[in-house]
Amino acid sequence: MGNVNKSRRQFLITLGSSVIALGVGYFLGSVTRPAKEIISTTTKTLTKTVTTTVTATGTPTTTTTTPVAPGLSAVAQRAVAGVKELMDKGVISPGTTLRILHVAGSRANLEKAIELWKQYVPEVNVELITLGQEPDVYNKAMQEAVTKTGSFDVVTIFSTWLGDVVEAGLAKPLDAYYSKYDPGYTGPCAPIEPLGSYTTTYKGKRYALNLDSDVFTLSYRKDLLTNPEYQNEFQAQYGKQLKVPDTWEELIDMAEFFTNLNLTAPSGGKVWGAYFYAEPRFAAYITWLNIFVEAGGILFDLKTMDPKIDSPEGRYAFDIMLKLKPYMPPEAVTASWADLYDKFVKGETVFTAAWPSLTKEAHRPTSAVKDVAGSALMPGVEVEVGGTKKLIRAAPNPVNWVGVVSNYSKYPELGYLFLQFATAPDIGLEMILTGVILDPFRKCWFTEPKYRSKLVQGYGEEFVEVYMQSLGISFPDLLIRGGPEYLAKLTTNVNAVMAGTKDPETALSDTASDWDSITSKYGVDEQLAAWQGLAELFPDDVKSVWKARGYM
Amino acid sequence: MVNRPAPRSIKLLANIPLNLLLFSVLIVPFVLMIYLAFLEWNPASGYDWWKAPITGLTNFKKALEDARFLYSFRLTMIYVVVTVAVEFLLGLALAYLLLEDFPGKKLVIAAVIYPLMLPPVVVATIFYLMFQDYGPINNIFLRSIMGASALNLHWFLRPDTAFITLLIADIWQWTPFIFLIMYSALSAVPKRLVEAAQVLGAGSSTIFWRIRLPLIKPLIIIAVVLRALEAFKVFDYVYIMTGGGPGTSTETVSLYIYRVAIEYHDISYAAAMSLIVLAVIMVVIRAFIWYAFERGE
Amino acid sequence: MRTRQLLLRSLRYILIGVFVLWILVPVAWVVTLAFKSYAEWRVSYFIPKKPTLDNFIVLFKPEVFTGVMGATAIVEPVTKPLINSILISAFSTILAVIIGFFTAYGASRYNTPGPFGIFFTLLTRMLPPATFVTPIMVYYSSLNLLDQHFGLIVLYSSVTVTYGIWILKGFIDAIPVEWEEAAMLEGASPTRVLFKVVLPLARPGLVVSALFIFLLNWTELLFALVLTNINAVTLPVHISKYVGAVGQLYGPQAALALVGSIIPVVIGYLIQKHLVTGFTFGMVR
Repeated sequence: MGNVNKSRRQFLITLGSSVIALGVGYFLGSVTRPAKEIISTTTKTLTKTVTTTVTATGTPTTTTTTPVAPGLSAVAQRAVAGVKELMDKGVISPGTTLRILHVAGSRANLEKAIELWKQYVPEVNVELITLGQEPDVYNKAMQEAVTKTGSFDVVTIFSTWLGDVVEAGLAKPLDAYYSKYDPGYTGPCAPIEPLGSYTTTYKGKRYALNLDSDVFTLSYRKDLLTNPEYQNEFQAQYGKQLKVPDTWEELIDMAEFFTNLNLTAPSGGKVWGAYFYAEPRFAAYITWLNIFVEAGGILFDLKTMDPKIDSPEGRYAFDIMLKLKPYMPPEAVTASWADLYDKFVKGETVFTAAWPSLTKEAHRPTSAVKDVAGSALMPGVEVEVGGTKKLIRAAPNPVNWVGVVSNYSKYPELGYLFLQFATAPDIGLEMILTGVILDPFRKCWFTEPKYRSKLVQGYGEEFVEVYMQSLGISFPDLLIRGGPEYLAKLTTNVNAVMAGTKDPETALSDTASDWDSITSKYGVDEQLAAWQGLAELFPDDVKSVWKARGYM
Repeated sequence: MVNRPAPRSIKLLANIPLNLLLFSVLIVPFVLMIYLAFLEWNPASGYDWWKAPITGLTNFKKALEDARFLYSFRLTMIYVVVTVAVEFLLGLALAYLLLEDFPGKKLVIAAVIYPLMLPPVVVATIFYLMFQDYGPINNIFLRSIMGASALNLHWFLRPDTAFITLLIADIWQWTPFIFLIMYSALSAVPKRLVEAAQVLGAGSSTIFWRIRLPLIKPLIIIAVVLRALEAFKVFDYVYIMTGGGPGTSTETVSLYIYRVAIEYHDISYAAAMSLIVLAVIMVVIRAFIWYAFERGE
Repeated sequence: MRTRQLLLRSLRYILIGVFVLWILVPVAWVVTLAFKSYAEWRVSYFIPKKPTLDNFIVLFKPEVFTGVMGATAIVEPVTKPLINSILISAFSTILAVIIGFFTAYGASRYNTPGPFGIFFTLLTRMLPPATFVTPIMVYYSSLNLLDQHFGLIVLYSSVTVTYGIWILKGFIDAIPVEWEEAAMLEGASPTRVLFKVVLPLARPGLVVSALFIFLLNWTELLFALVLTNINAVTLPVHISKYVGAVGQLYGPQAALALVGSIIPVVIGYLIQKHLVTGFTFGMVR
């Protein structure tokens, strides 16, 4: 009895203290809440009135005759004028701070954009919230979608996340701002298509502004490939010419040849024939997907949304990768994505493929290959289409940073205007040339001499040419809902095959069944519609194979 | 233990601050986490969590049929048993070795506990770099022992060796934790007890096993329990060193839960798995504490 | 007999030496890594061929660099995160130790919350961060505690208080009850006994548990990562920001880890004598 009493008292004490605690919690909550709500509702009404006046007049308000900032491109000028107007109307007051959530690697790029922004709009501060890893950004963005705190106004995301960020309610639709301020997405300076569209559009609406392009190119050692001694020896051994490979099959021979030469790099390390991504953390899918698409594979059936990776094309992609494996350093399978950069820059690989930043790194003064790194299109696959052989080339565009405006921002319009300013033809070029992880996406940067000369300074003539062609054959990541999830499962399985813990057959059927359950989670019809839209944006050559094989 | 009811003031002091803290900070999120486990929801699902459909036990059933979850759970169990056992033995041995005074002991202890001062992320990075093919483990240490064949050892390429690298990193960082508790406890065993035993003719090993060790048993148990709990949550080493690879062969349960929650966007499912894990550890730890402390009482 | 003793003794020193070596080799790797430039981060040798202080300077003056780090490592100087970490770790440790002390005393002497009660505090160490962060984020945002020092302090206290309870309970169990009884007989109130008799006797225990709790808080990453943005960023979060287009910037990360470990090293060294005398009320009851 005494015991019972004791435990009852115990319980009451516990209960009492918890009630007090909850009380304190709610008190704290209620003290801080209303103020916040009032602010957010006022800004909401304010922005609402602004937009209604715009739609009522029907004409863009940006037809200012006198340029607010001479010397700027029209796109950037419209952004600056937009900010001034917002200030005149009292929507924002001088001293307002805009907060941008972004990944550490792009900090230098954004700092440059902010520096230029400060020259034209000194009244608005821009603060950066930096996170180290991409998943951290994703995580924080998604949590903001749940908590709606307004702790940042703009977030830079992988385009692959766009579907999720939109569905979560975080991304603000930007169509109204697009038509009001015109970010320069048409005409000769528009982002290169289809990249410009597929990275910013979800279900037919614009939600983002392009900050980046991420198309893969082949990097190789020019000095080794043009060395007459090696050329003769290769000719003697393989009966073929040593040159930049057009197909993966050719590349395998050359990789074998160079690996067997047992060359030593200046760093003292062995020179390997090849290094293509097969690592477990996130990049393994890239190599596989590239070969798969070039071989004429299609990820999902366009009528049923059934995965079609467990197919001859899927097995072919594994076949190539496994044939390359002996000529790749083990790090390709085990280390992080950054090790590929390190190995190439030290001169320890002959053929490799990565994002454009690899070229930037390879040409730095400290690089061992600064004068001998060559760039070319990704190798292709020879495919039979209607009885004739055809070389199909494609290049993956994995991830690709874009800027998104938060729905919970107090100043969404200001956030948009910053993005428009930062990605304008002139400012945007300065921005991508200053940092490392953002790369060119506007057409005029490749075509108009005044821009092109700057681009060539940053990347080198050869790369600029190759990269423009690569953009034209680029294909999108899986930009549908759950895209990162589909790709993560594929990555895990590709890595397992490359490590030898799974055979290709099992890996493909496992991935297919994983994909099936992801699809059913989001709904077959909805995923199918998104996939059908996305499939249209693949390179024409690839689509012609799909048609010939009855996939499309 | 005092055999009379606690004075009111002591009872208040012992209960109120703790409960106030735990209840005001943790209980709401914890209840929320439990609630999430019974839903079908993730941030990208397009509706707020309080509007999500309740799916009952679906997530739990799914977890018990999920081979990847069960595998990672088993692997984590092995991980915990091996690391804690080795750390316990090494920590105890080191504490025993350092028991006697010698010049420079203070510095030796300072060096030995240094791993605790580094964030696990950094420790993971160090071992990641050291175990790579280009790293010093193969090229300096093993090469001097095994010769050139050490260079054919690719630690992260095979599931078993990759797993061993994780164990080594954990043991390196956390042996000092066990050591510190053991050392403090052992050196506190009263000298007169030891001397009395010596007078009675007990050898030093008898004194260690029969007198010192039994006396510090409660602290040993506490150290082992606390360490096991931390080891069960192992994340940084796996995430950074192997990425769970090759394939999913070194994926621990917290890495899998992290992936489900963050990469596969299924917070509800992750919450359900977390609760299963929580329940199992709780039972195991409780049984262990009962076995160690209360069995004979 | 003498030679045997000598042998044993030298064996002992050899074993200690091996152990210290095992600990020091990875430490040496961090130290040398902190003095290496990008080209030498992924190598097999310890001593850098071209030692550099860049990794340290970049922590405090990010703007002076060009090349690999300048282009990617423009992160805020480390000062603010360092101060944040000191404040947050210190206050949360103090809070956790005080609360842990009261609870441990009650549990040790009067079994107040019952063994099951303090067992449940172990639950706080079992919470899997990956799934717990979302609910806590929701909760904290409703309390406006995101990116606030106070929010992290109470969270850290509540997930580490169990270390205080369990370690301190071990210590208090070892303090003879008779001393308290004697004080009580002289008419001291229970709280007076707690503060005037038990507290001084348990001081070494407070120090040991404080060290552990401090270290846990000092190196905690996941909660801090999610719950901070700009104001309350801590050192481990700051370390994680040294990432660029060439991946992790190992050099600055190692440098920052070294700088960050100075404070706990000093603390650990200062309290060593308490570690020894810690349990003197030895296990006899």
